[in-house]
Amino acid sequence: MRLKVLPPTLRKNSRYLTLDIKSASPITKDELVNMIWDACIRFQGECMTSNFNLWVMKFYEIEKTDEYAHYKSIVRCQRDFVENVRSSLALTYRYNGNLVSITTIGLSGTIKASQKFI
Amino acid sequence: MFFDLNIRGSSLENNITLARQASEYGWDHINFSYNQNDFQNALDLREGLKDSLDGIISFDYTLEIKSTNINEIRKTANKFRNKASCISVIGGDLKVNRAVLENIKIDVLSRPYLKRYDSGINHILAKEAMRNNVAIELCFEDVLKSYLAPRAKVISNFRDIYALYRKFDFPLILSSRAESIFDIKTTQDFVSVFKQIGLNDDEINEAFSTSKAILEFNENRNEFIFKGVRRVNDEA
Repeated sequence: MRLKVLPPTLRKNSRYLTLDIKSASPITKDELVNMIWDACIRFQGECMTSNFNLWVMKFYEIEKTDEYAHYKSIVRCQRDFVENVRSSLALTYRYNGNLVSITTIGLSGTIKASQKFI
Repeated sequence: MFFDLNIRGSSLENNITLARQASEYGWDHINFSYNQNDFQNALDLREGLKDSLDGIISFDYTLEIKSTNINEIRKTANKFRNKASCISVIGGDLKVNRAVLENIKIDVLSRPYLKRYDSGINHILAKEAMRNNVAIELCFEDVLKSYLAPRAKVISNFRDIYALYRKFDFPLILSSRAESIFDIKTTQDFVSVFKQIGLNDDEINEAFSTSKAILEFNENRNEFIFKGVRRVNDEA
């Protein structure tokens, strides 16, 4: 049996970050999920990260060149913690020994609106 | 306006790639930094960069002096003063930190905390920085490329510098020191990181204004006769 959906006033407010990801080696969506959680837990700590309500909504492969693989993604986080998430992701530099760069190129209140940054 | 006075320059192709990426991520002006050995050769790339980056992003050069010899720093700064829009010296050595902050011909002391257990700046050096208008540069790269305990120590050093900055109000600038496209972030991300590690919005805006002021000051440096007196071209 599923839980009944909360009334709007009790729901968490979400924001959707559009991420620009460059990786020296190809990555999968699962690896991105791990990367995001690792980045947040490492920079903000476990207690703070528990507030973020992180979820990877979409994952797009844009292009692959000799230098890097380029991806974009839409990630959900809680409204009051956008700055914390942004800064944690910006400080990702290596994952499994490979160079990785994550930067936020868009912020919006709905998934539909965040897709214009893709 | 978002100014980055320290993007590490290399070959022409790499510079163009970095500049295009920086423009895409919202930067308005970047300075390619070269050390004293490569700076003269780098000046030859200017025309090629100008052609490729025309209308995309404005750029200039920073001379980054890396030496622990105070006389060499002074001589190099004098030699390249008219050729570089910004002269910075890599700090970390206490003698270098002091000599640089006392030298009015140098614009920036870069990373005074480098390879140290403290911030490399005290109240006396802060006053010197204020008196001689030498900016202190904090690099995003130092936070980005370190992790766990070393990152915590770098952030701690940043906080010590913020405390002195708030009391003595010396010029403070923020830069990325990016050398590849993996190191360049959007301006909003850059601001977010510095907000998380202790600066507020006004201080960050002030830091970008300081970078702009350094470039403007050096454009008119030849017009300065001595401190406080500038030759103006006012026919009226």
